[in-house]
Amino acid sequence: MMLAADLLFQGVIQGVFYALMAIGLSLIFGILKVVNFAHGEFYMIGAYAYTIAGTALGIPVWLCLPVAFAAGAALGWVTERSLMRPLYSGYTDWGGMKDEYAIIVTFGLSLLLINMVDKFIGPYAVRGPELVDVTRMQIGPFMASGQRIVAVATGVVVLVLLLVFLRFTFWGRQIQAVAQNKMGASLIGIDTGRVSATVFALSGGLAAFAGGLLAPIISASPDVGLYIALKSYVIIVIGGMGSIPGAIMAALMLGVFESFAAVYISYDYRDTFAFVFLILVLLFRPEGLMGEKGRAV
Amino acid sequence: MNSETRTRREFIASLVILVVIAALPLVLHSVYWLGVLVVCMYFAIQSVGWNLLTGYTGQMSLAPAAFAMVGAYGTGLLSYHFGAPPAVGIPAGVLAALVIGVLLGWVVLRLRTAYLALTTLAFAEILRLVISNSIEITRGDLGLNVPPLFDNRIGWYYLMLGALTVVQIGVWLLIRSKYGLYMQAIRDDEIAAASRGINTTLWKTVSFALSGAICGLAGALYAHFARLVSPDLGLILQTGYVISMVVIGGIGTMAGPIVGAMLVYALSEALRDAGGYQLIVFSALVIVFARFAREGCWGLAERWLAPPRRAKEGTT
Repeated sequence: MMLAADLLFQGVIQGVFYALMAIGLSLIFGILKVVNFAHGEFYMIGAYAYTIAGTALGIPVWLCLPVAFAAGAALGWVTERSLMRPLYSGYTDWGGMKDEYAIIVTFGLSLLLINMVDKFIGPYAVRGPELVDVTRMQIGPFMASGQRIVAVATGVVVLVLLLVFLRFTFWGRQIQAVAQNKMGASLIGIDTGRVSATVFALSGGLAAFAGGLLAPIISASPDVGLYIALKSYVIIVIGGMGSIPGAIMAALMLGVFESFAAVYISYDYRDTFAFVFLILVLLFRPEGLMGEKGRAV
Repeated sequence: MNSETRTRREFIASLVILVVIAALPLVLHSVYWLGVLVVCMYFAIQSVGWNLLTGYTGQMSLAPAAFAMVGAYGTGLLSYHFGAPPAVGIPAGVLAALVIGVLLGWVVLRLRTAYLALTTLAFAEILRLVISNSIEITRGDLGLNVPPLFDNRIGWYYLMLGALTVVQIGVWLLIRSKYGLYMQAIRDDEIAAASRGINTTLWKTVSFALSGAICGLAGALYAHFARLVSPDLGLILQTGYVISMVVIGGIGTMAGPIVGAMLVYALSEALRDAGGYQLIVFSALVIVFARFAREGCWGLAERWLAPPRRAKEGTT
């Protein structure tokens, strides 16, 4: 029983990190209807920005997190402005193959970022500076590393701030409006181009922030973003593409499920469960758990 | 120029390229470069296979390297456990990839675009993780040692070239047949294709299976060339190479995949000495080509080389 409670706790912690990653992807899908296959590399860039800012530049650790966010946001903005423009309209070359264009171009971006970091920073793993000096922390009956507890608490704060931003601010409402009806939003004077650039920046920033938060726990290396990105793809499909509550729920579910499955089913195969889950969901409930009904898959 | 003449012209151009490749050993004596070209052809076969599925049938797959891995393990396992000769192992590897292609094609029948890409990616990762974790059977990441077919590079060179030529001719015969038209119709508009009586279920599955088998053939041959089969053959990065090659060469064209594979891999080997920037150059090129020149190198060359034509009716 104790073991189960502990696994649940660890799973929820993992789920919060998954949620930070998946929400960004879900926002992009809501606005542009594409999946960003370079999402894991935004996470990786964040982890490196955090580590470099903290060690080489000597910036105080807590300020490194905003630095990571800014790096990811800048990269996201540039990506949207330079590569996502053809998705708007009138890009004849790819015609009806817009989705294929988005997949190929973000896949290429992912390769480019991995190889650039590999070449200019190095293929070896680097560990980020620690956020707090506590090695172990006890919360009620649960024991976890101090790093993890602080990271997850920060992550929850950011998630709440994000939800407040989306729900109650002018900018957040613009994003929701464009996600619901792009044509309608532009008719009432919302600059949809600027909104999608904002969303890309926000999404990149969130992924980079997650990278920074986890940098003291999971060492940064050029391909560190691969698995967490693959898991985020699974999460947004399970949660329903474009649905924010769905993404959070699915992230927590996947975190808990993996934590249990690694112990009760098989540790070696822990990374495959998410993919099996993905295929099952797509086969039997293609709209996801909380997705809109009747979407074209 | 209608698409049929265009396809024929591209096919003839690709044959010319294959003849040039066949003549290369006359002037190129370096064993190292012959080896590089063999690997080029390994990627070229996979590129042709991926292009059939994605370029001609419009099904976005992120699993070509996984099929190559299946083909390699098909022959690798038979030879490691039962001492089967390559003449049995290679067809078995191709068959295994074909069967898995049918399976994947059947699983993803209802999915399109991003969902299809994600599912094929998940499928590829499951295959790779299962293979690298089944240590009792596959020796995991250590890989399997397999015997070579030839001792000299020239033998390999012409075997790979022969395989590439057969695959290319096979794909051309398919694409120019009415079944190839069915596939292209599915790519252009699946609903319209179905409304004209095309069995889209069947032809999508066939395309998945054939593309899988072609990639499997590449993998099975490469296994004996490299003498080692490991799960690294199925890395997402390898899929990235195949996609890059097709996009740089020209997606949905006959000659593009071969041009792309040759150009990209040979160039990257040449750049390796100049500081190892090859992968950066090459991934940047993918983005530039996808963004500004959808038809790739082949499309650009065609546009520049083509004689000026009279104003034509409404097409661009």
